[in-house]
Parts: sequence; C-alpha cells; structure tokens
Amino acid sequence: MEEIILYLLELLIFPGIIFISTLALFFQWFDRKIHARFQNRVGPLVVGPKGLLQPLADFIKLLSKEDITPISADRAGFILAPIITLTLAVISAFFIPVMSYSGILSFSGDVIVVLFFSTILTFMIAFAGYSATNRFSTIGAARTALQFISYEIPYILSVIAVVIISRSLQISEIVASQVSTYGLPYVVILPIAFVLYLVSLLAKLEKIPFDIPEAETEIVGGWSAEYSGKKLAFFKLAIDIKMVVGAGLAVAFFLGGPYGPVIPGIEWLCYTFWFIVKTLVLVFILSNLRTLFARYRIDQMVKIFWDYITPLAFLQLILAEGFVIYLM
Amino acid sequence: MTEKVVKERYTIPVGPQHPALKEPIFFKFIVDGEQIIEAIPRIGYVHRGIEKLTEERTYLKDAYLVERVCGICSGVHQATFVNAVESLIDKPTPERADYLRVLVLELERIHSHYLWLGVAAHEIGFDTLFMYTWRDREVVMDLLELITGNRVNYGMNIIGGVRRDINDEIIHKTLKGIDYLEERAKYYLDVAADEKTILARTVGRGILTREQALKLGAVGPTARASNLAMDVRKDDPYLVYDEIPFELVTADTNDVFGRIVVRVKELFESYNIIRWVLENIPSGPTFIRTSPKVPAGEAIAKSEAPRGELFYYVRSTGTLKPYRVKIRTPTLANILAVAEMLKGEYIADIPIVFAGIDPCISCMDRAFFVDVEKDKKWVWSEDELKLYSRKWYKTHEKEVIQRWKR
Repeated sequence: MEEIILYLLELLIFPGIIFISTLALFFQWFDRKIHARFQNRVGPLVVGPKGLLQPLADFIKLLSKEDITPISADRAGFILAPIITLTLAVISAFFIPVMSYSGILSFSGDVIVVLFFSTILTFMIAFAGYSATNRFSTIGAARTALQFISYEIPYILSVIAVVIISRSLQISEIVASQVSTYGLPYVVILPIAFVLYLVSLLAKLEKIPFDIPEAETEIVGGWSAEYSGKKLAFFKLAIDIKMVVGAGLAVAFFLGGPYGPVIPGIEWLCYTFWFIVKTLVLVFILSNLRTLFARYRIDQMVKIFWDYITPLAFLQLILAEGFVIYLM
Repeated sequence: MTEKVVKERYTIPVGPQHPALKEPIFFKFIVDGEQIIEAIPRIGYVHRGIEKLTEERTYLKDAYLVERVCGICSGVHQATFVNAVESLIDKPTPERADYLRVLVLELERIHSHYLWLGVAAHEIGFDTLFMYTWRDREVVMDLLELITGNRVNYGMNIIGGVRRDINDEIIHKTLKGIDYLEERAKYYLDVAADEKTILARTVGRGILTREQALKLGAVGPTARASNLAMDVRKDDPYLVYDEIPFELVTADTNDVFGRIVVRVKELFESYNIIRWVLENIPSGPTFIRTSPKVPAGEAIAKSEAPRGELFYYVRSTGTLKPYRVKIRTPTLANILAVAEMLKGEYIADIPIVFAGIDPCISCMDRAFFVDVEKDKKWVWSEDELKLYSRKWYKTHEKEVIQRWKR
C-alpha cells in the first residue's frame, strides 16, 4: 500500500506532473526574462517577485477566456489535438532522469519511445493546423510538416550517436555509462552531435530563426491561429513542457544527467539541483540563439538542414562508430 | 494565362486586418504553393475625408488638420501645405523660419527611418533589432519635443513662419543627440550588411527594376533603391535645400536590401544637413504677420517626405477658407510598384516586401467609383452609400450567410 502511495506521489507531485509543470512555467519565465534583457527590455515584472508568476497568471487567464471552436473546423480533431499534445508531452517528461539516474518510467528501449513521442508531438501540431481549416492554419501545418522532415533526421541521428557510444537503448544506462564507463559527459566525446541536437531542438520548439510555422507577421500564428481559451492554454503549456523535455533529454544524453558533486544524505535534492542548473544553462543558450537571428524562409531552412546539418549528423555517426572500434 | 486557370488557384486574403499590415489594406494573393502568382491590392478602408474637411475650416486650422493626415510624417504635411498657401501670399517668410522648418523636417526623416528599420526587422522576425532601433528613436523624439514642444504632431508651422524659436542650449543638446544617433546608425549599417539571416531574407527579394520603377511611378527611397536618382530636395528645391550641400543616396540592387541601405545611408545625410543648418542658421524673426484671407489663385507645393514625393494643391477664392485642397501622398505612388514587386515572391516574403516601401495606408486612401465597362467615374454621398449597402445586403443575404457558414 505504501509503495503505491509513494509511486502516486512520485507521479503526481515530484518529479511528476506538478514538478514538470512548475519547471515548464519557470523555464518560460527564465526564457522571457533573458530574451527581454538581451533586447534591452525589462520583461515580466508585475506578477510575483520579478514577474516570476507571470507565466502562471497567463495560463490561468487563458483558461478563463472564451473557448471558440470554429464552425468550419473538424471538431473532433480540433478538440483532441491539444489534449493529446499535452498528455504526450507530460508522458515523455516522465522518462527524464531528475532526482536519480532514471526517470519515473524506465525500461529497455525507452530512448526509442521518447523519440517516437516527440515525433507524434510534431504530428499533432500539423494535425491541429489542418483541423482548424483556416487558410493560415493550413499553411502553418504544411510548414510544420516540411520543417519536420528536415530537422527530425539530424535530431534522431545525434541521439543515435549517443546510443552507439553508450551501447544502450535505455536512458538510465546512458546516463550511468557517462559516469562509470567513460567518466566524462558525452558532450566532450560528441561535440558535433550536441550542437546538432540543440539546433534541431530550436527547430522542434519553433523558436527564432526557425519559428516559420507560426510566423506571426507572415501567417498570423500559423497552426495556432484559430485556437483560443483552454485549448490554447494547454498547447502553450505543452510547448513549455516540450522545452523541459528537450533540455532534459539533452542533459541526460550529453551532460551526464543529474550527476554532480553531492552532499551525502540528501543526494536526491542535489541531483535535482544539478538537473535544474544544467537545463537552465541549455535554456540560456537557446534564448541567446533566438535573440541573435532573423527568421529564415521555409525553403532556406530546409536547404540549411539538408545541405549542412544532416551530412554533419552522418559524419558524427561515423566518428562515433570509429571511436567505439578504436576503444575496443 | 487564361482567366479560368487563375480562378482554380488557391487564393489567400491578406488584410484588411493582418499582423503584417499596420493599417487596413486588402491584398488578394493568387498563389501556387508558397509562390505568389498575382497580387491584387484594394484600398479604401480608412478613408477619412480630410481633403473635404479642409474646405470647411480656415487656413490657420487647416495647417493643424493636414498634420493629422499621417502619424509619422506629420511635419512634412504641414510644411508642404503652408508652403503652398504662402506662395499665394506675396510676403516672403523670414529666412530663420525656413531653416527651422528644414531642421524639423530632417529630424522627422531620422525618426521615420528609424521607425521603418524597426518595423522591417520585425517583419523578418528579428525582434532584437526592432527593440534597439525603437529605443534609439526615443532620442530623436525627445529632440523633436525639445524643439517643437510635441512628440508626434509638432504644430511647428504657421502661415508666415514657425511657432517656436531655438536657443544655444537646444542647439547644443541637438548636436549631442545627433552624435549619438550617428554612432548608432553606423552600427545598424554594419548589422544590416553583415548579419547572415538579414541578408538571406532581403537580398534579391522584391525586385523592382529601374524601368519598372519609372513606368509605375515609384517615388522616394523605393525609387532610389532602383537606381533612380530622384529627390525633390535636389530636383525642385524648396525652403533652403538649394543651399545645403548633401548627397543623393541611391542603390542599384533593386531589392529590399537596397531599400534598407538607402534609408540607413540617408540617415547620415540628414545628420550632416542638421549640423549644417544649426551652424548657418541666420538670426532674425521667426514669423511675419499675414492676413487670414488668402488672395485668390491656385498653387502647388512639393516636398520630399521620408517616404517620397509629397504633393499639395491648394485653390483659393480669396476667402478665409480654401476652395479645394488636393493631397497626393508617396504611398499612393508606390502601391502599384509593390503589387509588381510581390509577383513571384514567396508568401513568407509578403511582409518584408510590402514593408519595403514604408507604406502609410491611411495617408493615401481614396474613395472613388469607377465603372470599367461604361467608363464612368463618380463620387457618392453618405446617403447614397447607405442606400447602396442596404440594397446590396438584401439581394446578397443568402450569399453572406453561406460565406459565414462555410
């Protein structure tokens, strides 16, 4: 009985749904604040200390807004899309090791499951755009799909490079192997894969310069044009959780997971601390990147990914394989 | 291409409300995938009847009314109107007033170009540049407030001169502000020329060749970026522009990148003009008294607004109020050119190409009816319009409901 309660607490509160959602909102605040400071603005300021509660206030505000389903929209798809997106995003967050070497869910081959979920998440965005049947949504959905076929391959290939080095398809073993087998995080061994992962993640999260599917000035928010109220709130939360998942997986794959110097007795707290610090660094890098660039056009983006990034990912694969053979 | 083929293509409506358009204008784009085959503009959503209003007010009040035509280039509207009226009156304005008008016009040009640079950056998703330019724009806005007392509608010109004078302290502060702005403009020129993503989005986009620009009557920086050396300040100098040494900036790239470069380089010319004006400004009165009645006759005045040639026609019958005022703003001259530029571009390039002409829609809107088949033109009164709309909705009721349901 106690075990079940403990497990439920883990699932619901820490490091489960509540923790993940809080972290997602915190990351959104951090991203907005950093982005604003780079642009010589102040960013969120009013709600909570230094505007810390602004994302939560925005979320609650959206929940209370009128929820409109357009007459011409495909009703089932339009309503299902945000629910499935949020659910899948939360489930993929369960796989991230936060307070120990493994996440809440962990089994052999979970790397494939996480990658599969992340693919489905992108599909859901295209699905949402098509369901709305708005012209701008349709274009946004088409752009999402087009962007998807360009970044998904380097994204998965960079993870496969990690899998080749660690000889495992389980996230917890990949994390453990960075500490036990090699003694150093994979970012040192696979620097190209790390960079490619971040660039692909930028495209996956639809941030500048790859915010093409929702380009506000071009296609009015793209796939999200028709969404409002609760559905939009769920979508926004799901996108923030995707950021946590993306950064969390990068930490697990390349930065040695939550490992770091610990104080004996409260290891789990220290691990959580190191996890948050490492993800914050990644979020900082991502905010920095999106401050620096203008938006690419869809054809330019596809060209960059197919001409440079995908070949580089293959090169990294060959290097990783060579590294393993050399060691043996 | 036959008409039938065109109808089967996918059409995208852009406007009258669209985030890329700061003001209401409607574009119907016929697209093939992401590429635009044809762009059909439709104007007339913000017609405000200012030309008609001027006939109801005295010349003195009109000077303040025409300033409201545009929210950005407000000073140049007033200066041009006042110039036109003054050419009907036989008293020459004091020289100091002309210098002060040039000072305000050039500061306004700087403010307008900074604003445009920010908007253009925003259209290509480069919000950081947008925030930076608008922060620096505050400096020139403060200078304008210092000199004229207002940030947007300056109310500087009156018939017979200018309303306010400047002193040594203002000259000192203006020069200091100009130095800072010049430093920043150099930085922005570097950013525009070096930043890869900006180049990727602007080079070769929105092509308007020299011949097309001539044929479609493009004006201002849009024409100058197509290598047309065309500037009212040089071609037909007004105020004291014939004495001021400055260069005409042109570019031969014919694209959006050229339009950015032309505008940023024009900033440097404006700085030099302001320095020259502040150095050579003569002393004396800033205005002379004139009769509120303007002698009968008609007059035109042209000036180079930040967006291009601005044209005013004033007709007086010797009373307190003008008989007719006609305004032609630069955006109206450029709207045909932009429809041409958009052909063959991608959907993603609509905002930046359209913003490339620095459009000011509410300045240029016209209400006018043309029956193409019968070759007839007419203007409707308000009652006739209401009658027409009632009739139209009665006959098209089903169609409208259908459209909502679809």
